[in-house]
Amino acid sequence: MEIYLPIAEMSVHWVYIVGLGLAVGFLSGLFGVGGGFLLTPLLVFYGIPSVVAVGTTLSHVTASSVSGALAQWRKRAIDFKMAGVMVAGGLVGTGFGVWLFALMRRQGQMDLIVSLSYVLLLGSVGGLMLKESLATLKAARGGVVVPVRPVNRAWIAALPFKMRFRQSRLYLSVLPPIVIGFAVGALSAIMGVGGGFIIVPAMIYILRMPTNVVLGTSLVQIIGVTIVTTILQATSNYAVDIVLALFLVIGGVVGAQLGVRAGARLRGEQLRFLLAVVVLAVALRLAWGLVAHPRDIYSTMLGS
Amino acid sequence: MRRWIFALLLAATPATAAEDVVSGLSQDQIEINSSYTGSDIVVFGTIERPAAPTGRDIVVVVRGPDTDITVRRRDRVAGVWINRDAAKFAGMPAFYFLASSRPLGAIAPPEVLDRYGLGAMHLKPAAITSHHDPLPFRQAAVRQLAAQGLYTDAPGAIDFHSENLFKTVVPIPAAVARGQYNVEVYLFRDGDVESVQSTPFFIDQTGLERRLFNFAHNQPLGYGLLAVFMSLLFGWATSVLMRRPGA
Repeated sequence: MEIYLPIAEMSVHWVYIVGLGLAVGFLSGLFGVGGGFLLTPLLVFYGIPSVVAVGTTLSHVTASSVSGALAQWRKRAIDFKMAGVMVAGGLVGTGFGVWLFALMRRQGQMDLIVSLSYVLLLGSVGGLMLKESLATLKAARGGVVVPVRPVNRAWIAALPFKMRFRQSRLYLSVLPPIVIGFAVGALSAIMGVGGGFIIVPAMIYILRMPTNVVLGTSLVQIIGVTIVTTILQATSNYAVDIVLALFLVIGGVVGAQLGVRAGARLRGEQLRFLLAVVVLAVALRLAWGLVAHPRDIYSTMLGS
Repeated sequence: MRRWIFALLLAATPATAAEDVVSGLSQDQIEINSSYTGSDIVVFGTIERPAAPTGRDIVVVVRGPDTDITVRRRDRVAGVWINRDAAKFAGMPAFYFLASSRPLGAIAPPEVLDRYGLGAMHLKPAAITSHHDPLPFRQAAVRQLAAQGLYTDAPGAIDFHSENLFKTVVPIPAAVARGQYNVEVYLFRDGDVESVQSTPFFIDQTGLERRLFNFAHNQPLGYGLLAVFMSLLFGWATSVLMRRPGA
């Protein structure tokens, strides 16, 4: 059955949209990422106008993150204090992102900059995670325990405004989480992503939070940022299609639950390895789109 | 002065002498509801006081609401394909359908087509903004809009049921602009327009779709909050519903 989307002003097949929500929700629950980095390009590929895709993906990310976060909350695996600090940075970042979005649109290079940043971010994050998880997996197979290398953290330890994050067993300056939150908030506004694919590695490798609280905490941060970005997108761009969101959300929340359960059976380094593969695959696909000869060098846009 | 004389001459000619076209539509309103996947509108017409059927042509044009068309061209810079040049055509129809009894070029000379703006390449934009020759941009836009079913050139798509009775079917795609559409039926005689008739119809959303669209535009904050609330509710509900004992 085809359904008509009142904001996107086009009709889509609901099975496709629910299926898309389900698949992306599954990954979301599995890895503790929102999945926006997959869903936004997929919706655009399906023909949804990119402004609507960006604005509506956020609803899906919120819903599957809530579902995942509640599951983590029951396991007491959320550091609310850390999430709160990051959301504070995220709110400022979102405002900055919306401003930057408008600026890039005026320059006419929106698509290029979004694609390039996707490729650079996903490529470097994915590469880093792949390298680390492979090393850990190899070591585990050989029976060697890899010592956690205290990667040059002297400068982070030297920062002021320290705070105790009991749940994460950290005593840390609030500046790094605020800066990470800010960056992710800005990305959320520009790319229609929650930013989990950046927060998760940043929490693991920069903040050195224990892996078991990383998933739940990143989900809470994502919920905070996507709620604000959804409202900003609705009020400034009229870009949220609630009918599209409904069908994505129905698939997404079910997928997220299934993902959380599947994730419980995998070890941390296996999860990181899989996420790295998915992230790198998306990065390669987008990079290919930038360098491959376009099927048509012209593109037409209706409206002002 | 000369115009007055011309008008007087026209009035003086017996009305019965002029060949004329009269047309109608199968519907004057297309309603977009939740199951809208595109539709057809039928334009039918008849020639009154017909003269000889030879040297006579019918052209049916359906023109959607005006919009701007922006065309960008990508170029390879340092191995990456980047939007370099652009052209913007203001005041172009968002939907343009043209059916003719013969190919346009065989019906009238280019000057006449230009004068009446008949054919996607003869339409007159209100303004063109470009640093380059806009022609290739325009050709690309027409080609791509044609692929989406928004611009159609259908030579020979006028069905004659009898010598003076004809119809044509206009396919309206699912992703179409809302607003007023104008159907113009041209009667050509020996390469020039003899008679024109124009009829409007409207495409609009109805029911829930309409209310949601208005809600999103009139109360964006409330709409955004509703979207957020819906996400939170669904996230919470599945979490509760799918919770297994001990999980």
